[in-house]
Formats: sequence, structure tokens, C-alpha cells
Amino acid sequence: MRVQIALGKDGGQQGCTGHGRCAVMAGDVYRLDDNGYNIDRGGVIEVPPGLEESARLGVRVCPEGAITLAK
Amino acid sequence: MGFKDQETVYTPPTAADVEAAKAKYGRDIYHDFDLDAPVFNDRLLDVLDDIVEKCPVARSQVGTGFWLVAQNKLVREVGQNWRAFSAAGGYMPNRPEGLPFLFPEECDPPIHTAWRTALNPFMGPAVIAEYDATIRADANALIDRFIDRGECEFVSEMGGLLPGWAFFKNVLGVPIEDLDKLVDGVERGTFAPDMAERGAAFGFVFSYLGEYLKKRSEEPPRGDMVDMIAAGVEYDDGNPAPWADRVSVLVDMTFGGIATTTYVMAGGLLWLAENPEARKLLVSDPETYMPRAIEEFARVFPPVVALGRTCTQDVELGGQQLKKGDFVMMVYGGASRDPRVIEDPKKIDITRETVLHSAFGVGIHRCIGSNLARLELRATFEEWLRRIPDYHVKQGTTPVYETGYLRSMRSLHLSW
Repeated sequence: MRVQIALGKDGGQQGCTGHGRCAVMAGDVYRLDDNGYNIDRGGVIEVPPGLEESARLGVRVCPEGAITLAK
Repeated sequence: MGFKDQETVYTPPTAADVEAAKAKYGRDIYHDFDLDAPVFNDRLLDVLDDIVEKCPVARSQVGTGFWLVAQNKLVREVGQNWRAFSAAGGYMPNRPEGLPFLFPEECDPPIHTAWRTALNPFMGPAVIAEYDATIRADANALIDRFIDRGECEFVSEMGGLLPGWAFFKNVLGVPIEDLDKLVDGVERGTFAPDMAERGAAFGFVFSYLGEYLKKRSEEPPRGDMVDMIAAGVEYDDGNPAPWADRVSVLVDMTFGGIATTTYVMAGGLLWLAENPEARKLLVSDPETYMPRAIEEFARVFPPVVALGRTCTQDVELGGQQLKKGDFVMMVYGGASRDPRVIEDPKKIDITRETVLHSAFGVGIHRCIGSNLARLELRATFEEWLRRIPDYHVKQGTTPVYETGYLRSMRSLHLSW
């Protein structure tokens, strides 16, 4: 399973803007950089086996809709 | 439930809806929406629910008039698109004449990007986590003052003070003796019925913080956020940010830092006073339930009810044609109660695993202080419940609210 963290146009629009909810609710999958943005923004996270539920929780709590399941 | 499931077919309010609203509220909330009117204070949640349900895009005739959107999807559409919905026209409808703009809140990229890039590190989760011990100590110092009395007025004795202390001590370095003056300036600047009085109150905040910034710029640097603001950032044209812009950034940070979190604290404690089972749950397993409770309280007690944007072009929004120059309010308090994204939104449930809300805004202008706010909320609820696990609203008293584009609680008497 893989999840994608959108960077968004102009580094922000419709992408990760640093709410940090993913890391608060599912810190085993999502990590933040020092500025509070998802450290993997603009990229894809390979979800380790067993953490699929956490990964899905991150998808559901992002206020921007920036996290999506990737093919 | 996710974003993808949201319906995109809108049903504007019918003539019958309008008549029903007049009967219920004494006002056509769909075409005469005025956050400063008493009915929006007394029945805010009912009004928000009706707006979300019946009216994707409403038109207010108040002042020079403005649009408002409340559905979660439309609020995101506006908040995430600064090119079409600019923040540079200000967030306040019918803005008082001559009020300086607050940066970075009331500007767009590239200026916004320059400031946020410089400011974000000072408000990131790693830096904020270091304030935990100070904020908890302050929460306990405040509780010490009234715990033996068996009662308190929560807003003036704790909820209205702690965010200011946290922000002044950890971030600004302003003397806390001056907190009252600044809180008063910010509050009158927000809620005073007279627009000229709002402008004057903000004028005081600008002059106080302007002097403080000047003084700090002449002192040896402390390596904090104020130093960074005083030093300024470089704009896209290669020029340094004007001094007035730097003062406006400091005002904006202060405004956000002291005027908002109080309401979530008071709202959460009030609800917990009346829900002993939830209190027990939070005391028995704070690790699991406290983060969920905080998100739920931010959702249902929205300190920022609505903020505005200005259309930079003719644009269609939720089936309505908006014109260049039109003002649009994003009703965050409504978007967080949208049944299209939140199951049973009227119910307060601190066990919700997924709390999707718009309390901290959306898009690049999202609240910069959300990490600090969450820490303050956690310290308040945990320390209060640890020391005063059993309490109730003082008999014969009723909480008093104040509502404009921000919502606040004026008084909450609790006893134990």
C-alpha cells in the first residue's frame, strides 16, 4: 500500500499546508519536518505492512484532502 | 466518509425556507446574514446548520454586501485558491476605513510565502513542544488562585489569561503586565459595535507593538520570532519588507495568539461540566481521548466563525456567479458542521476517531498557531481535570457569549 502527499501548485494550493493532523493521529506512518509540513510532501510513502489502518486514518483527517491512496 | 463522496448538486433556499427562517429567527438568514446581529450570538449553531443545509452560497445585504459559503467543499474551494479568492482585500467584511492590513494573513504570494517561510519554523511542532512545561506550570498557577474558593469565573480567571501568558512568555517576550491592555484592544477591535471604535482599538495595538518591535530591533538579538520579524524578510523584488509590514506581522501573530483559544477552552470545559462520563474517559485514558476531544471541541466551538476573501475575477462558486471585487466569507464554523463530511455533526462526541473540521482554516493561509493552540488546550483540560475532576456550572448562572466573525465566551461560572 502506498499513499501520496500532494505538494500542490505553488507549493501549497490543494496540497500539504502543514496542519500536522496526519502525524498527530497516525504518527507511525506520517512524520513532520521542523516547519510542521509532512516530511514526504510532494512524494509517496510506502506503508509498512500492518500500518494500513493508520495510513487510511491520515487520508481521512487531512483538512486539505492532500493525502490520497496511491496505485 | 471522505471528500470524494461529497454531493455537488445544490438546492438554493426556497421561498418557504426564507419564510421559515423569518419565523424561526426573525430574520432572513439566507439573504440578510449579519454575524454582528444578536440572533447570530444567541442561536449561532442553529443558524450555521440551516445555512449549511439549505444554502450553499448565500448573499448578505449587510453594509456593502457579501457572499457566504458554508459547505465544507466550497470553503475548501475558496481557501485553497488564493489566485481567484485573494486574502489581500482583508478578512473582515465592511472593513473599517484606514485599518492597516495584517500580514501574512491579509496578503497573497509571493509576500505571503516570504513571511510564512520565515515564521513557520517558530511555530512548528518541535519548537512548540518545548513550551509544554511552562504552559502546564502556568495552568497550575492559575488554578492555585481559585481552587480553594470552590468556584471561579473561568474566562477572566483562566481561559482569557493562559493563551496570552503562553504567547507572551514563550514567543513574544512582552511583559505580561501589559496583557490586559492588549487583550482589551484586540477584543474591542473585534467586537465593538461601532466600526470607528474597532479601528481605534486596533490602532492602540498597532502602536504598542510597533514601539515594542522598535525597542527590540535596537537590543541584542534573542534568536526568537520577534528578532526575525524585526529583521524582516526580503520581498520578491529584492527589497526588504517595509517597517510597517513588520509591525503588521507582529500584530497579526499577537491577534491570533491571544484572541481565539479561550473560546475552545471555555466551550470544552462547559460541555465537560455537563458530561461526567466524558470527563471520566478523559481522566482514565488521556493519551487516546484527549487529542480526539481537542479536535472535536475545535470543531464544535469554532473561535473563528468566518473569514473573508476578495474575488480577483468573475468566478462561479457553488452554482452562483460571483463578480470580480465581490467579498466572500468562508464560514468555517459551518464547514465543520457539514453532514456531507461529518457523521451526525450536531452531536458532540469526544470518541470520534476521525474529526474532519475547518477550525484552523484551509489553504496556504491556514492558522499558523494551531500547534500552540492544541498544546494550550491539552494543558488546560488535563491539568483542570487532574485537580478538579468533578465540577459543574454554578447554580443560577448562565454562560455569556459574544459573536462576530470571531466567537468568544464572556463569562462561565463554574463551581465544585
